[in-house]
Parts: sequence; structure tokens; C-alpha cells
Amino acid sequence: MPLPVAGDGLWQEGEARAFRRLTLAWMGTMMFLFSTMLLLGYFMRLFQANAFRTMRPEWFYAVLTLHGLGMVATWFVGGMAATGYLLTRYSRPSIWISRLALAGTLVGAGLLAAATLFGLFGTGWYFLYPLPFYSSGVWPPWATGCFFGALALLFSVWTIWVLDLLRAIASRFPLRQALGWHVLSGRPSLGVPSFVLVATVSLIAGAAGLAAGMVLLGLWAVEWLRSGYSNDALLMKNLTFFFGHIITNITMYLGVGVVYELLPGYAGRPWKLSKALAWAWNTVLLLVVLAYAHHLYMDFAQPRVLQDTGQIVSYFLSVPAAVVSIFGGLALVYAAPMRWTLASWLFFLGLMGWAIGGVGAVIDSTVALNSRFHNTLWVPAHFHTYYLMGVVLMLLGFAHHLAVDLTGEPERPAMRHAILALLAIGGYGFLLAFYWAGAHSVPRRFAAYPRELSQGVAAARVAVVFIALIVIAVALYLWETARRCWRAFSA
Amino acid sequence: MTPQVQAFWIFVAMACLVAGFFLWVARSTRQAHEVNQDAARRLRRNFFYSLTGLLVIVLALTLRHMPYPVPTERPERIIFVVGKQFAFGISSRPIADDADWEAATYSAPVQIPTGAMVEFRVSSFDVNHGFAVYSPSGELLGQVQAMPGYVNRLRMRFRRPGIYHVFCLEFCGMDHYRMRGLFFVVPRTNTQSHTRSLLAGTGE
Ligand code: HEM
Ligand SMILES: [Cu+2]
Repeated sequence: MPLPVAGDGLWQEGEARAFRRLTLAWMGTMMFLFSTMLLLGYFMRLFQANAFRTMRPEWFYAVLTLHGLGMVATWFVGGMAATGYLLTRYSRPSIWISRLALAGTLVGAGLLAAATLFGLFGTGWYFLYPLPFYSSGVWPPWATGCFFGALALLFSVWTIWVLDLLRAIASRFPLRQALGWHVLSGRPSLGVPSFVLVATVSLIAGAAGLAAGMVLLGLWAVEWLRSGYSNDALLMKNLTFFFGHIITNITMYLGVGVVYELLPGYAGRPWKLSKALAWAWNTVLLLVVLAYAHHLYMDFAQPRVLQDTGQIVSYFLSVPAAVVSIFGGLALVYAAPMRWTLASWLFFLGLMGWAIGGVGAVIDSTVALNSRFHNTLWVPAHFHTYYLMGVVLMLLGFAHHLAVDLTGEPERPAMRHAILALLAIGGYGFLLAFYWAGAHSVPRRFAAYPRELSQGVAAARVAVVFIALIVIAVALYLWETARRCWRAFSA
Repeated sequence: MTPQVQAFWIFVAMACLVAGFFLWVARSTRQAHEVNQDAARRLRRNFFYSLTGLLVIVLALTLRHMPYPVPTERPERIIFVVGKQFAFGISSRPIADDADWEAATYSAPVQIPTGAMVEFRVSSFDVNHGFAVYSPSGELLGQVQAMPGYVNRLRMRFRRPGIYHVFCLEFCGMDHYRMRGLFFVVPRTNTQSHTRSLLAGTGE
């Protein structure tokens, strides 16, 4: 049933229509950015397979930066847009703020593309202090300015958007209830949907992450404007990973929230807020802000207690995910009168990718092993599993769900089978090449591999074949979904 | 098998287990039926206890093997390392400024006797770098970040003599992938002649 439902006292017909069109515009943006960034990823793996021997490495690093930030941004806004849309069932997120966020995101993405593709700004997606100031002659100062301007714009509009969704939730459920605290103390759920709990946890954590991002930008600005002042490299690293870890994690959780809300409709069973669920997500809220410490294991100057905490927290963060969300999703589907469509398959496979990526992540978060995995290709291996085979599938599922819902056009089973098979084979093949290379000591972020690490080239060559399958799958998906979205948009 | 490769196979096995479980659940929808809620809850409880138990055991086993320096241990050799776009200066004397660093990158590689506990004192003169030690057969043995304004102490022991390569494992700019260093591990006895054979390319 298309949301927002007009005439239930929350939305009027005109507004409901405007919100739907806005959500379609978000989905169009998400699909467009995804396909571009995907091709950039393909380019990088080809580069590592030595396909462009004469091209300068500056290009690889500019593309690395754009692909990384572009993808993180794409799925964050995709998750936010889907969450905002689903929240219209219960409350009134602001249309204008979402429009502002869309405009800001498009301008910000354009500025990032300019800084990287015209300015060759190439620091990697987390622009680790003080690299942007040490361009070794590659990028001019305007590119640095353009890059930080883009981030300032993106962080500002996203913060407003996150706060607005929290406001919308709070106007319907007191935040205590939205966080399920009443359920923890043994009272009934009072009609709080489990999706609202997941969204609230994600948004609160997201606000904290964005706040850290703003502080980080402020410190950069101070150093840039006041000559002679320089920041502390360890503090900047802590802030960078606090921000980066949270923003990427909550993107995952926003996708999971969408699955909580929509998968039950396909399974014909409810996914209700329970005490276990409330425990799980409150634990997540507590732990997710500490887990970033595992990015600094190899900074031996970091206080030791943060290192131990990093491993313990990273380990136990997997418990609520596995026992409540993944087990819960499986129990929801088990022997259910399931309606299997492209959307429900994507949700289901997305949960699976989350679980598999989690295994890779827990292995890497073991300090003793991190000595041998840190900044090898194992790292992109596990987060591409979370993303490409996790939240990306969930949000592509959402877009397809929306497209079918709004046009009423039934899907074609042959297309569905082709898309799913190509995505699964291409995706896991591509990822396995990353994992294998990481286990064979191949570093991440190498534009080309030295003779001693030629296994890196072999892995890249294998990966290139599988990425071609992903590209075909995404093209078929767009043919099925983007066209429907367009028709619904122009109707 | 290196620890990394062992971890890889553990990962593959667990990923297959997860995927198998998902496919089994997907198949179960061919014959829909009511599910006993109590049984499901019991299963979840057991899953919770087994997963938590497993994690606690692995934590207990692994938290003892931290790569950080133990204050009671005394290193036998101290090696100074400074990263700078785009090379590592590695020296048995302190590297205080650019001239020292320049000299360290050009002078003969340092030699470390087998079995000795060495402490690498690692820092950077510009951006973050990653000091990562690779065995003569190309296996990543350990690493530490090289950070401006900080000295990180990495302690290691080497059993096998040979040429050890150092690669940069923190992205530091356009020539990051070419940033490297080198040192020799030589048998504790007979240091001189072994180095000569290494330099002549007849060593391992
Ligand atoms: C088929 C799809 C994709 C391909 C072929 C691809 C390819 C790549 C490659 C080759 C790298 C560089 C690895 C290295 O460090 O050597 C990379 C990095 C990265 N990718 Fe992807 N990727 C894909 C999808 C995604 C998705 C969906 C995301 C979502 C967030 C993503 C986010 C990133 C990030 C954050 C980095 C790290 C950038 C950095 O190191 O600064 N990628 N990707
Ligand atoms: Cu470096």
C-alpha cells in the first residue's frame, strides 16, 4: 500500500503525493549515484589488474576518494530517504527539510566530483589528518577548499535532516517509548513499531557521528586559517574514525530498519517489538559509539584501555545483531506463507550479507589478528560485504518495493531470477578475491602492486570478471526498477 | 599455514554455514505452517548463550596475545624508523631531522640478529604512514602506525634470516604504493659474512 496514506488525519492528498514524488526523486538519485560509483569501482579494480599501464596513479587515488565518499553518501541518504518515507505511516517528517537535504546532497556530490576529478584531490575517503595539507604537488589548494566545503555542506544538511526525523518520531512517541524503555520495564509495547525503535537508535547515533564530523571540520578550519597552529594527529584520528565508523554503521542499521518494517508484509507475520528486541537495540546504541576504537589498534600510542575496549565491544556488538535481527529475520521467514518477489529476496539476501560481513569483521576486530589484517584488502573485503551484499540489497529492495507499489505493475520472474543470480555470483566472487588477497598480505589502497606482492594482481584479475556480472545485474535491475520509478514520478 | 590464511578458511567455513542456513530457511517456505513460538524462543535463548560463550572463550584466548610492548621485557636492539613521503628511513641511530632521514634512506640496511627482541621506534615527519614488516617470503608479520608527533614502539623477534621488506600500510599520497624500506635479519653468529652473501644476492 503506497504511503503516505492520505486522509488518516496526518497527510492531505496533495502532500502525500508530493512526499511520494520526493521519495522517488531520492531513489532516482540513489540509483544514479550508485551506478556511477560502481563503474568507478570497476575502474579501480581494472587499474589494480594493470589494465591502464600508462595512466598516472593520481587518477587511481582521486577515483578512490570519490568512489569511497560517494558510495558512503549514496547509501546514507538512501537509508535516510527510505526511513523518512516509512515514518510517514506514523508521523510527519518535513517535506521541505528532505528537499533541502536532496539539494544539498546533489550540490555536495557535484563539489566532491569537481575536487577529485578536476582537482585530483586524493586522500582516500577518510582524509586522514594531515594528508590534505600534503598534496606533494598533486592537488591545488582550491581542490582542498572545494572538498572541505562539500563536506561542510553535506554534514549540515544531513544533521538537519537527522534531527527532523527524530523530531517527527518524538512528536508521535515520546523518545523513551521510541527507544522501547517501557518494554524493558515489562510494560506492553503501546503500539511502538519495532522499525521506529531501530530508526531512533540509528538517528541518535547518527546525530552523534555527524556532531563529531562537524567538530573535526572545525579543527581542520582552525588549522587552515591560523598559521602556526597544528592539531594533534591522534585526536584527529580518533574523531575521524568516530565519525566514519558511526556513519557507515548506522547506514547499515537504517537498511535493517527498512527490512523490519517491510519484510513482515511479505512473510505474512508481524515483527513485533519485544523485550529482547528492545534490549538488543539499546545495547547497540551504547556500544556503537565505542566500537570505532578498533580502527586505532595499530596506534600503539592510543591508551591501552581503549584497545581492549575496542575488541570487547566489537565482539559483543555482534550479539544483538545475530541473536535478534538476523535470527529474528530468519524466524520470521521460516515456514512462513512467504511472497517471494525481487524485493523480499533482496531483503533476505541483504540480511545474509550482513551476517557474512559480520563474520569477517569480528575476525578483523581481534587485535592479535589485526596486526596482520589492518589496512590489507581484508578491510575493504568485509565492509564491501556489509555494504554491497547487505545494505545495498536492502535499499535496492526498498526501491523496487516502492516502484511496484506505486505503479501496480507486476514484476517478471525471469528478470528476477537473472538479477538475483548475477548479483549473488558476481558479488561473492568479487568479495572472495578481496578476502583472499587480504589473507595473502596484499595491502589496500595500492594503485599497483610491487613485484613482491604480485598475488594482488592475480586477485584483481579474477575480481574484474565477477564485477562484470554485477554490472549486468545492476543494469537489469535499473531496467526493471528505474523505469517504474520514472513512470510513477511522471504519473 | 599463516594465521591469516587460517583465518581465511575459518571465514569461508562460517560464511558457508550462514549461507546454508539462509537457504534452508528459504526452502522451508515451500510448505508453510505454524511455528511453535515457545520452541523458537528456546532456540533463540540457546543461540544467545552459545554465541556469547564462544565469544568469551575467543576473547580469553586472544586478549593475551596483544602486539603492544610489555613493560617488563627489555628489547635487545633498538631501531629507529621515520616515514616521510615516500620512503622509510630505518637506522640504528636516532633520526632527528631531514638530514638524518635522508642519510638513513641511503645508507646500508640495518642488520638484526635472529632471535633478538628488537624495538622499532616508529614516527613520521609529515603524514600518517604504516610501518609493516614483510617476511622474506612476502608474509605480513606485523605493523604499527607511523604518526607525526608520536613515537610508536613495535617489538618483534625474527627467526628466519633474510631480506625483510617494509611496505607502507597507511595511505599517504600518490606514491604510497611505492613507499618501502628494507632490513636484514642475519644469523646471530657470523654476522659479517652472511651480510656479504645477502648483498651479493646469494642469501635467501
Ligand atoms: C561492484 C561494486 C564495487 C566495486 C567494484 C568496488 C570497488 C572498490 C575498490 C577496487 C576499492 C579500492 C580497494 C583498495 O583499497 O585497494 C574500493 C574501495 C572502497 N569502496 Fe568500493 N566497490 C564497490 C561497491 C562499493 C559500495 C556499495 C560501497 C558502499 C559504501 C563502497 C565503498 C567503498 C569505500 C568506502 C572504499 C574505501 C575507499 C578508501 O579506501 O578511501 N564500494 N571499492
Ligand atoms: Cu606512506
